Amino acid sequence: MLETLLYNSIWILPLLTTLLCVPIPREKEKLIKNVHLFSGFLVLGIAVYLTIQLYFLSLASPVQGSVSVLRFVTELPWLQAINAHYFIGADGLSMLMVLLTAVVVFTGMLVSLNIGKGSKEFFALIQILGTSIYGVFMSFDLVLFFIFYEMEAVCMYLMIAGWGSGKKDYGGKKLTLTLALGSAMILAVFFGIHVESGIHSWNILELAQVKLPETFQMWAFPILFMGFAVSGSLFPFHFWSPDGHSAAPTAVSMLAAGVMMKMGTYGILRIAIYLMPEGARFALPYLVYLTIFNVVLAAFIAVRHKDLKYITAYSSISHLGLIFLGIAALTPVSLRGAALQMLSHGFLTALFFAAVGMIYSRTHTRNILEMGGLMKQIPFIGVAFVIAGFAGLGLPGFSGFIAEITIFIGSFENTSPVFRLITILAVLSITTTAIYILQTANRMLNGALPGRFAAITDAGPGEKTVLVLLILCLLGLGLFPAPVSDFLDSSLAPILENLKR
Amino acid sequence: MNAFLIPDLLLLLTPFLVIAIRIFTRNSKPAFIFANLSFLVIFVFLNRLVLGDEPHIFFSTWKVDRFGVLMREILILGAFLGVWFAKDYFDHRADHKSKLTQMAEYIAALMFATFGGFAVLSATELLTLFLGLEIATVPMYALTAWNKTDPNGSEAGTKFILMGSVATAFELFGLSYLYGFAGTLELSLIADAVAQNMHSPLLWISVLFLICGIGFKLTLFPFYTWAPDVYDGAPTPTTAVLSVTSKLVAVIFLMVLIFGPFAAIHSELIPFLSLLAAITLFVGNLGALKQNRLRRFMAYSSISQAGYILIALIGPESLARGAVAYYFVVYTIANYLAFFIFGVIGRNRSETFESLRGLSKQSPVLAVALAVAAFSLAGIPPLAGFLGKFFLFYSAAEAKGYALILFAVLNNVIALYYYIQLIKAAWVDEPETEPEPLAITLRQKVVIIVLMIGTLTIGVLPFLNTNIFRIVG
Repeated sequence: MLETLLYNSIWILPLLTTLLCVPIPREKEKLIKNVHLFSGFLVLGIAVYLTIQLYFLSLASPVQGSVSVLRFVTELPWLQAINAHYFIGADGLSMLMVLLTAVVVFTGMLVSLNIGKGSKEFFALIQILGTSIYGVFMSFDLVLFFIFYEMEAVCMYLMIAGWGSGKKDYGGKKLTLTLALGSAMILAVFFGIHVESGIHSWNILELAQVKLPETFQMWAFPILFMGFAVSGSLFPFHFWSPDGHSAAPTAVSMLAAGVMMKMGTYGILRIAIYLMPEGARFALPYLVYLTIFNVVLAAFIAVRHKDLKYITAYSSISHLGLIFLGIAALTPVSLRGAALQMLSHGFLTALFFAAVGMIYSRTHTRNILEMGGLMKQIPFIGVAFVIAGFAGLGLPGFSGFIAEITIFIGSFENTSPVFRLITILAVLSITTTAIYILQTANRMLNGALPGRFAAITDAGPGEKTVLVLLILCLLGLGLFPAPVSDFLDSSLAPILENLKR
Repeated sequence: MNAFLIPDLLLLLTPFLVIAIRIFTRNSKPAFIFANLSFLVIFVFLNRLVLGDEPHIFFSTWKVDRFGVLMREILILGAFLGVWFAKDYFDHRADHKSKLTQMAEYIAALMFATFGGFAVLSATELLTLFLGLEIATVPMYALTAWNKTDPNGSEAGTKFILMGSVATAFELFGLSYLYGFAGTLELSLIADAVAQNMHSPLLWISVLFLICGIGFKLTLFPFYTWAPDVYDGAPTPTTAVLSVTSKLVAVIFLMVLIFGPFAAIHSELIPFLSLLAAITLFVGNLGALKQNRLRRFMAYSSISQAGYILIALIGPESLARGAVAYYFVVYTIANYLAFFIFGVIGRNRSETFESLRGLSKQSPVLAVALAVAAFSLAGIPPLAGFLGKFFLFYSAAEAKGYALILFAVLNNVIALYYYIQLIKAAWVDEPETEPEPLAITLRQKVVIIVLMIGTLTIGVLPFLNTNIFRIVG
């Protein structure tokens, strides 16, 4: 009971905090920030506590059959006219995603402490953004899911246009409108699922037990998949992400690349494949070709870019391609790898963007050619950046290794030659990753220090907390992958079970 | 007892009283207060009416049912907001035009237009239906040309009356063919005749003319071209009324026909309605992309909204009714919220996008309210507009109109773009010159706050939509 209340409070607390801060005059910036930080920390604490609770609960009773076992369930009638319910619950996958979100929201707030003008609105928007992302991972009702899913794109625009840098209006609009395009495709298919299922329900668990008409699945699955793939920046819908990330303030980049882009892949696993397994089996062998662009070409594009944020954004696209590869292969190991990569890449890219943001706030340039010798001046941030780079490369010990190796093994298990070929290409593309990571780190951190950077200082205590926390998460996932894998398997089992029908 | 007639009679009576009060008082303030009180009384009466499932019919010509009462309440809400919004334009200059005069008469004309909506809702035969629509339209011609010193207003009025008359002719033509086809004016008897002879050419000619005629009033493609000019030239309060009350009356007219006499051929009308809806919302969206004047922008925005509303009509009757009723509540609220903000801004400036610049610094609350209104009109959750559109699509999904829904939601992305332009102007763009100070009255403040809270909450809280669907379903 207490756990259920706490679980609900994860998405309600941020909203309450925002409301609480409305009457505080904007001059008292420090107070506002502290209130928000405290609430972010509280949510993080709740998420950690619940994850541990849920882990032991799910160990105690393994899942059987194709029905997801949810804990901490709240189900209340909500919009009776359309039979939509307020239905939230937790299983391994959603709980871990919530935990990831809590970490990234909290660290995002920490790096935004010196945001300057309009911090009241900025922190309110971070909280609302956090609410919407938590909601996506927690809800098991399609209407509720969609409401949370669409909310986030608009917050993004406001934050990028208001507090971004460079072509902020352009970048913000590109991001928001492309994401809205994805949501539009998703919404249309949701209506189809609701009506075609014949049970007039929006409940994901109930819908999963119904076999939707195959003719419907054949066209609906690709549309739903592409709709979700927009936010996961799968080719050809990847174009919003570099411009959006480069214009966004650090916290938004962290949240967007760290968790928001996982909402798409989460939706594919949880909704598209779970509800339409026949369509998935039919369409994914064709859709997998799209991942070649992400995995292979995006890495090459990153090599040519000189802007730190563009490099990081293309690196994200490339890593997200691996998630799509894992999902498309549809083997038990590859799905587990995809889920692991969602977590691992969340921490990794948050760390990347946090380090990049800290460097940018000091050097006021993101062009790596204009930098050099920064390791002497900002060793802490520099080391964090290198760690992020190596973790992205797949250095054993960090989470990237375990996630990527699982995906590769899993997708190679798929006997189709296409998957094997793409797996080989993906493994080879790690070399390209090495090129851009090493060349970026080298140009930026080594060599002669330009005179104008002589006065910059290393990370402050808040920033150090951010970097250390994220690195610890990467290490934890990388050194102890077994419990996390078991935890994820327990929630992926029903999806796999449905695939066999 | 015929208690169900009281609200209609009251609304018929009050315009005369409003004008009478104006004659005997020095200024129009008592008339304004009286009008508000009577709106309140009518609304309360409507709310207290206890109706069964069967409609109440007065001498076989005046029908009141639960759906009718619900729509009456929405019409009263729209008229009430219209009067409150108009008040400022009689108090001071706005948009660099001279202030309006003769408020009592303005209010009376607005009430007559609202009564026209009541008549359309109550129609049991073609004559009442037609008369209702005309009573709702003719005052709008006058309201459009109300500012006699503004040549644009006169031009808009002339355009409107010319186009409107042509539309009326089309409607009459269609109705007379329908009469010729069925040999009766009674809607229920016509429905029987249509069910028996679904493919009579006479019937389909009448359908064609009626859709053309109502297409003008509802600004459907390809009859929407008058709307941007008229909306732009008319005084701002008239623009608001045109985009809410007039549109609502036209939709009700269409619903009375589609789910009444044409119920039997509803499934055959679906392709035409879908096509009209799709093209209308597409051209409305395209038109709104590059506008600079706010009223013209709202004209295109309301054209595309008409397209969205039409989508609901391809669904089954009970769902379509509920969806349209709910949509109009949220649309009225969000639209008036936007117009009230334009009213505040347009007091000392012109009503253009440039005037919105720097709003977030001058008045953050207004800027937040503008964002809420724009996102609600764009249909972004969790604001009310999202759920409104959701119900519209839900109704169409029931009729398996997936392709239309997909087209409409993809168009929503275009709509989001231009509504974001509003927000961008208020939040991002820096003003070129120091903007004029804003002046906001207490009444405007209260309305803006209330409408904003309404838009934020009624999309999330289930009470309103549950009730609406219980009433119509």
